[in-house]
Amino acid sequence: MNPLRSRALAAAIYVLVADGVAALFLGGLVGGPGLALITVLVVGSWWQEALRQRLTRVPRLGPVLLGLAGAGVVVEIAVGAVGLLDVFTHLLVFLLLVKLYTLQTLRDARDVAFLAFFMLVAASPVTTSVVFLGLFVTFVVVGTWLLMFRHVLNETDVVPGPTARIGREILELALAGSAVTVLVTAVLFVVIPRVGLAALPLRTQGSRSVSGFSEHVRLGSFGEIEADATVVMRVRLTSLTGGGVPQQLPSLRWRGVAFDHFDGRTWTVSPATLRLTLRRNRSVAFPVHQYTGGPVLTQEIDLEPLESPMIFGAPRVLSVQGRSDLVVVDDLGNVAVPLPIARLRYTVESQPEMGTPRRVRIAEARTPSDPRWHARYTQLPRLSPRVGALAREVTAGSADAHEAARRLTAWLSRELRYTRTLERPAGDDPLEDFLFVRRAGNCEYFAAALAVMLRSLQVPARVVNGFQRGEWNPYGDYFMVRLRDAHSWVEVFVDGAGWITFDPSPRGPAEVETPAAAASLWLDSMRTTWQRYVVSFSLYDQLTVVESLRRATWAWSAVALRPAQWPPRARAATAGAGLLAVGAVALLWRRRRRAAPVSVVPVFYLQALRLLARRGLTPERGETAREFAHRAAGAAWAAPLASLTGAYERVRFGGAALTGAELAVVHADLAALTKAVRARRT
Amino acid sequence: MRLRGLLARLQPRRTIRPTRDGWWCLGAAVGLGLAAVNTGNNLLYLLASLLLALIVVSGILSEQSMRRLGLRAVIPDEIYATRPVQLGARVRNGKRWLPSYSVALEAGAHRLYVDRLAAGAERLVTWETTFPRRGRQRLPGVRVLTRFPFGLFLKAGRVALDTDVVVFPTARPLDETWRRRLTASGVRSLPRRGRGHDLYSLREYRIGDDPRLVHWPSSAKTGELIVRELAAETATNTRIVLVGDGTRNATRLEAALSEAASLAIHVLDSGAAVELAGPGLHVPSGRGRGHRWRLLTALALYDPALAMTPIPRRSSGVSEIEVTLG
Repeated sequence: MNPLRSRALAAAIYVLVADGVAALFLGGLVGGPGLALITVLVVGSWWQEALRQRLTRVPRLGPVLLGLAGAGVVVEIAVGAVGLLDVFTHLLVFLLLVKLYTLQTLRDARDVAFLAFFMLVAASPVTTSVVFLGLFVTFVVVGTWLLMFRHVLNETDVVPGPTARIGREILELALAGSAVTVLVTAVLFVVIPRVGLAALPLRTQGSRSVSGFSEHVRLGSFGEIEADATVVMRVRLTSLTGGGVPQQLPSLRWRGVAFDHFDGRTWTVSPATLRLTLRRNRSVAFPVHQYTGGPVLTQEIDLEPLESPMIFGAPRVLSVQGRSDLVVVDDLGNVAVPLPIARLRYTVESQPEMGTPRRVRIAEARTPSDPRWHARYTQLPRLSPRVGALAREVTAGSADAHEAARRLTAWLSRELRYTRTLERPAGDDPLEDFLFVRRAGNCEYFAAALAVMLRSLQVPARVVNGFQRGEWNPYGDYFMVRLRDAHSWVEVFVDGAGWITFDPSPRGPAEVETPAAAASLWLDSMRTTWQRYVVSFSLYDQLTVVESLRRATWAWSAVALRPAQWPPRARAATAGAGLLAVGAVALLWRRRRRAAPVSVVPVFYLQALRLLARRGLTPERGETAREFAHRAAGAAWAAPLASLTGAYERVRFGGAALTGAELAVVHADLAALTKAVRARRT
Repeated sequence: MRLRGLLARLQPRRTIRPTRDGWWCLGAAVGLGLAAVNTGNNLLYLLASLLLALIVVSGILSEQSMRRLGLRAVIPDEIYATRPVQLGARVRNGKRWLPSYSVALEAGAHRLYVDRLAAGAERLVTWETTFPRRGRQRLPGVRVLTRFPFGLFLKAGRVALDTDVVVFPTARPLDETWRRRLTASGVRSLPRRGRGHDLYSLREYRIGDDPRLVHWPSSAKTGELIVRELAAETATNTRIVLVGDGTRNATRLEAALSEAASLAIHVLDSGAAVELAGPGLHVPSGRGRGHRWRLLTALALYDPALAMTPIPRRSSGVSEIEVTLG
């Protein structure tokens, strides 16, 4: 059978083709012009029935085309202009077009489905987009239906026999089948152990890097700072010990890199910084800072490649855990991993700053007595004396370093203006220009000014680069941190409390961005879920799932027999499931009653046979009902049996339902038969 | 018997083997699995999982289609050698709720297809076949199989209905020679309606009656059209004697048994009793359907090697026809 004669089958074939070609485009294996050309050829094939007929009559067309394809592959490999995956893609596209222009049989329809599937396969190593999920689900639904429908058409072509129109039922069955297929696929996907060897990568391609985060703070630049909305990080707050809603924590920010050295224009990490490289063979957390008490915030962070080895977390970072087996920690509290080329996922435990640090007295957070430490964090280049004078003026009468820092922060926020438009400094000292001439700048100026002014007062301070909290995504329960959320602030050492964060930057109205639309947030949530549970799924996740199941089983086994202790959600879900089950059973029962087939042998005739069997009278093998009735001629039950036989023939072979009057006659005959049989017995 | 039952139980309820498409699917799943392990790419794992899921779902749906399907043979009472015969099977879906889809029945070289069988429904499928020779023969058996839902695997149930049947010798309409021989042996009227020559009864004319049967004297007497009903006629009770033992010429033996069967059917159909006698077989005189079956069975199972019993003597008032076995 020509599959294109069935419009539904033809539509399914072209949907699968579109699905496969879209996958190639998504993976970048086919560019814009290529896509346009393929689309024209594919769409054009829809109306080429006459050409198809002519092509099928061409002798040895198949071997010739296969030879051409083989030669093309050899030439492409020999020339070496493209990778293996691209050669595979070209072969797939060629075969697909050949099939579309020679489509004649149901087997060709199957081949097209296979080719579309291999297009998804070709795209899989080179894309991580969530759009792939849509293409995958489309393929499952349409492909399942196509395979089922093709099977039925194929069987009815090959095997003659009674058939009914079951197209609609096949559609329903295919939908149910595809839902089950997706479910089983998900289970298998989770269960199949991830033991990847990565011995022969088809095409080395990392994720697209995002630039914009800086590993230093340079003053003196000018121009308009672009508000880039690219998402660089997604932070899920998984727990906060001590209670409270983690996302409502005040002043949440994601610390990246701290700088201790200032040369008058640029803040950098001094070469004298002590670095410690930690290695682990197993997936355990790397310790960064010592825990000194208070709540612990756990964050799960998905970090896009930032062209920087730094990783981020809420200050003060206690530990880091991820897939990397190597972490570099320095004495500024910076944490780095080998430069990631792909999205990095890790978990950070932090001890957020809570309450007033002046009341805290932590033994480990006393000011070190080493003068070199003090010199390092109070280091300054030659500065204009006006800066120091201003600092002293603002902090006059401060009781301690914390109050001095607080006063300076308040002064900077109040007296100076935040702007993204940076003008060329009038003199050689950008900081002096910021404080006394322009009196406006971005967060880097504010942070640098505060740190320098504190250092001029011999208060240890350092500048930190990182990101502000970002935008909360209620659909995925995480913060979306964008490039425009990049920020600088200051850490000040307070005796007994350690390094405390001060943010003098008044990022007010100028920083208010239009919140993302709900659809955009939902899409981002979906993208994140896809990345988290599919693209980045690992052996570690598998072990986590097993562990979670084990714990949940234990927990549930303890409370399962005590429904009163169930959480309200579980109770509601159980009640809902019960109602659904009852409804489904009732519906099926009703449908079955409606579709209950008529019994092959009517009950009244079976009763009659049973009665006669008591007298030893049973139909012989192959004896018809009428012959059986004739055999009884002359007996007392002959008349009722003949009447019942007539009724039986009408119901059984005439397919007629008995009327009320006929039923009454049947009952009367049965009564007469019973009486006659009993009379004979007595 | 007990051992056979045990062996039957040990046989798997279903056999399953991949079709050509199924082998492709399995090969692709293995290839993708290897590629996924090699690259650690989760999307390849996803696609390999999809192929494996298709195989799993295929197994579930095909089992659902095959489950609780019952077969009952529909075999005609009389099967004649070299004559086409309709064999059949009633296939019944014994499931309470769910229909069966795309089920094929394989009976020897015949394949029949049922695309849908509702829950509790039954369908009769028939096929034509011809048995080349008489005697007890084994039916090829019927097997339920399905490629549902994707055509990736062929799942087949156990062979059922492989029972024995008795194939009667070929029966043909009697040729003129045999008719003359039967007529010569005498014809008599039977006490039932028929197309003979004697009067059976008179009755009122009905539309469609042959005008030549109008009985004019009675019609004139009653003032209404009265027609004659004629009695049926029969040959006299007949004894068919098989002469010889048929060991010399097998072709002649089969032809003779076919003639004997044709004769017996003809005489029985005309209402007379038939007795069959021959070397190693004797069916006493009788009438009716059961007797016909006994006669034909005796002819079907006739074995010249066992032809040792002498032929019984002929009764009086019975015409005798000899059929030479060769």
